[in-house]
Amino acid sequence: MADLSQNPGGQDPVALFERHRAQLIRDRMTANILLAVLFFAFLAWSIWIANFTPERLAQGVPRIFEYFGTVMPSFSMDVLLDGRNAEGRFPPGSIGFWYNDFWKYITLIWETILMALTATLLGTGLAVILSFLAARNTTPHPVVGTFARRFLEFCRGVPEILFALVLVFWVGIGPLAGVLAITIHAAGALGKLFSEVVENASMRPVDGMKAVGGSWFEQMRYGILPQVMPNFTSYALWRFEINVRASAVVGFVGAGGIGAELSHVISFFSDDRVTAVLLLVVLLVTAIDLLSERARHALIGKEALK
Amino acid sequence: MLEFKGLTKQFRDTIAVKPATLTIPDGQMVGIIGRSGAGKSTLLRMINRLNEPSGGQMLFHGRDITALKGRELRQWRNECAMVFQQFNLVGRLDVLTNVMSGRLFHHGFISSMAGMFSAKERAFAIRALDRLGMAHVALQQTDTLSGGQMQRVAIARALVQEPRIMLADEPIASLDPLNAKVVMDALRAINQEDGLTVVCNLHTLDTARQYCDRIIGMQDGVIVFDGTAKQLTDKAAREIYGAEAEEAFSEAMTSTTLRPSDKPEAATPRVVN
Repeated sequence: MADLSQNPGGQDPVALFERHRAQLIRDRMTANILLAVLFFAFLAWSIWIANFTPERLAQGVPRIFEYFGTVMPSFSMDVLLDGRNAEGRFPPGSIGFWYNDFWKYITLIWETILMALTATLLGTGLAVILSFLAARNTTPHPVVGTFARRFLEFCRGVPEILFALVLVFWVGIGPLAGVLAITIHAAGALGKLFSEVVENASMRPVDGMKAVGGSWFEQMRYGILPQVMPNFTSYALWRFEINVRASAVVGFVGAGGIGAELSHVISFFSDDRVTAVLLLVVLLVTAIDLLSERARHALIGKEALK
Repeated sequence: MLEFKGLTKQFRDTIAVKPATLTIPDGQMVGIIGRSGAGKSTLLRMINRLNEPSGGQMLFHGRDITALKGRELRQWRNECAMVFQQFNLVGRLDVLTNVMSGRLFHHGFISSMAGMFSAKERAFAIRALDRLGMAHVALQQTDTLSGGQMQRVAIARALVQEPRIMLADEPIASLDPLNAKVVMDALRAINQEDGLTVVCNLHTLDTARQYCDRIIGMQDGVIVFDGTAKQLTDKAAREIYGAEAEEAFSEAMTSTTLRPSDKPEAATPRVVN
């Protein structure tokens, strides 16, 4: 057995190690100081550009309440819960008057949920296929992988609202444009996350499937998919929450859902109808968030026990 | 008959397997021994092309294996099943599906993507599992099994491929002596009862001597020994293992329980097909 306490040069190994370590620490220190200087330079620049000063913030505060003042419903307590009167109208100051278009809103909100659901399903399907092509360990060819990654970057790099604008010209005003726009963006974002999950999966089952004579599709279906399924499901549910918010926004450019109504009441009335719609949207998003969080936790909890 | 004609494998700047020429007749049980890094695994994985050979040729009954592509290559892989050191099963699928995945080559795109297996395939898989004494866990999730059980499931998967050759890459290196014996007994039974050619890499000298008709010794990518267990004297073994000889011999000492039984119990029920 070789004598480990001596290296060929005859130097003390501890001194050698300490010198190497000190050098490493010095190198890292220089890099860290450089980064800190850069960070503060950019911070100062952005404050200057945004004109971000405490006085400006303080001046603006009353105006926020001004706006809320104009869109707040004005209730009068004596008619608050009154129903329709003889002419079939709700008296001004009642909840019924405030939510005169309640069923219209509900129909549109239901449309919004369905849009988000369809877009999530389509986007997830696309993302699964693209992620196997994009992940470095499973891609059938490096060139295909590069193309898939660039394509995913494009899909998630362009905002939904921009896709929606273009698609409204292509397929016309309505939910289809919104669904397609959100699908593209969700596929891009999920595809990236999925491909990272795939890159962390064990390749041993893939070797096993290769050795039984399985094709690339069979290697993915049997070797990878069972390993990544819980993660994929969890990410897809989380994306559904985001897509609900997104489908409430794409309506602003005519791509269906409650967003169209919100945009309409803001620009045409700017009265208590704005808060009526907003309140429903906030309630919907909160409810979906809570439900999906529960679903995800149930799923993760179940998987953790296995 | 499997013929190697100057088969070689080169990774960037190291030659893992120097031109190897040998012939393995049908029905032989061959053990490849050597220290770690000698090129045993590379040689074995070149047979089913999990590692691409960099040069030379390999023929199986006159068919050029090294030239196969696409579907023909997958057909060849289906004909020569492989058992791995780490089992390479799909842990999150049940045992039965893992075994049935050995039939995937015979499936079309739709049925394999949908995971549809016929009743006949299910029966075949259960018989293969039963032959290895594992039918009772058929519906259990695979990653709940012990290492020895997983290796037996992996052998069942290999059996439902109806292979002509069985490759085993260090099949017992991750197992305790008792499970190692069960697995080696099963491989020997497959060799003797079904007449399959079995080629396995083994780390321990003792196991190779006990189970194999023929032993091939490798050192630094070169085949330095090719003969029967009797011809493998201690002196020859020491040459194969070089500096690791002491380790290989002492490992043989600790696995003295590894004696093949007269009638391997794992192999009584036959796969009928």
